[in-house]
Amino acid sequence: MRGDRHWIARAGAAAFAIALLYPFSALFARVGAWQWSPDVRGPALASVRVSLLLTGLAMAIIITVGTPMAAYIARCRARERLVWQALLLIPILLPPLALGILMTLAFGPYGSLGAWLERYGIVMTNSATAFVATQVYVGMGYYVLGAVAALDAVPVMLQKQAALLGVTPMRVFLRVTLPLSKLGLAVALSLAWVRAIGEFGAVVVTAYYPSGMPIQLWVNLQSFGLPAVMPLLVVFLAVALPLPWLIHVLAQRQRHA
Amino acid sequence: MLKAHIIKKRRELSVDVQLNLDQGCCLGLFGASGAGKSTVLACVAGIEEPDDGYVEVGDLKFFPPSLPLYKRTIGYLTQEPGLFPHLSVSENISFGIPREQASEREQIDWIATLRDRLQLSALWNAPASLISGGQARRVSLARMLARKPPVVLLDEPFAGLDRQLVRELIDDLIFWSQMIGFSMIAVDHQAEVLKRLCPQRVVVLEQGRVVQQGTWEELSRAPATPLLGSLLAPL
Repeated sequence: MRGDRHWIARAGAAAFAIALLYPFSALFARVGAWQWSPDVRGPALASVRVSLLLTGLAMAIIITVGTPMAAYIARCRARERLVWQALLLIPILLPPLALGILMTLAFGPYGSLGAWLERYGIVMTNSATAFVATQVYVGMGYYVLGAVAALDAVPVMLQKQAALLGVTPMRVFLRVTLPLSKLGLAVALSLAWVRAIGEFGAVVVTAYYPSGMPIQLWVNLQSFGLPAVMPLLVVFLAVALPLPWLIHVLAQRQRHA
Repeated sequence: MLKAHIIKKRRELSVDVQLNLDQGCCLGLFGASGAGKSTVLACVAGIEEPDDGYVEVGDLKFFPPSLPLYKRTIGYLTQEPGLFPHLSVSENISFGIPREQASEREQIDWIATLRDRLQLSALWNAPASLISGGQARRVSLARMLARKPPVVLLDEPFAGLDRQLVRELIDDLIFWSQMIGFSMIAVDHQAEVLKRLCPQRVVVLEQGRVVQQGTWEELSRAPATPLLGSLLAPL
């Protein structure tokens, strides 16, 4: 009886997983011959380049700024930590389109900061800078909150023991905290990566040009229809999904090891 | 050598303890669980910050203001070995040795001496996460001694170990204390452990206060409180 219940639960879980993965079956949908002519291929490959390069740059900024911030929050007292975490939640919870509009108004030529930046040649709408800035805003909260959890998991006593061995705080971070939290940090970064590279709502307002993959998918859909979308969609999934997926699987494995 | 006055208020306990320790001496902190022994030691080490008082080791002022942990010239050993699980045994032991010193002949010989005396050769390259609890205590002891600290603080580092291993570790500690010449404050709630480690002088804590200090003989002859009498009585 107990065994039967186990199998029923397993079948239920399998049905649940199949339902979740069902949309992927659309990759085999009959939408006609996939279109990969030069007028589709050129902009598509350019959008892959834009997404990989600029999202990579955004991730570098997120790591550089977000890691010290996360390290600081992880060592804050409970009340102060709550304040920082509540603040970081705001850009995460903001609807992407609203974020895009707010960013355009704040950093675009209509805002005082945007006008000032433009005087120095930094254009914050429809530019690579705007693209990167939007991705940083979109991904930063995910990274920092995830990184706080990762750094939190390293026992404080271990770090104090390291310090009592005469090692400076920076070296304790590099030699103890970082190695012990690296998988958690990678998980946090992969969340930020997936969120940023797939961002459409905010980017469509702030940086329609240079077009990244989500914008190009939209353009292809509007201009050529589904046959022109499918090849780029496959590339998009291949670029965005496997690495974060692998990192999450590894992290789960380590947690249950 | 070490002078400390620790004042620390906690919800469940208020600690007010003064300690003096001479160069090369050993002081035992004895008392029942919850008497405040570990709190005193953690405040001296800097793991916790006292609310008031002072801590001085030689010419170095630990508190106030609170000296950063990495500038405190002490060794601190607790119940938890606190090994770095991502490093090997040898990397754990050399962890606190500055890189420029690590290649010096004298330093290499010193680490080799520790390795041989503490019987760590067989596990030298093993990951610290895969060794047994008893082995981990020995590695943790070696790691602390690698820096030759002038003061060593021991917070029940032998808890949960079998008697044979406790005896070996105590013998090792006594050997190294004589060889290096460090001063030692040891905390334990087992009189027999503390008696072997610090046979000369003991300070007894109850409810965060010193209730008696002297030799073990004096304590046994006239315990200041009924609780102390019962702690010293054989089972």
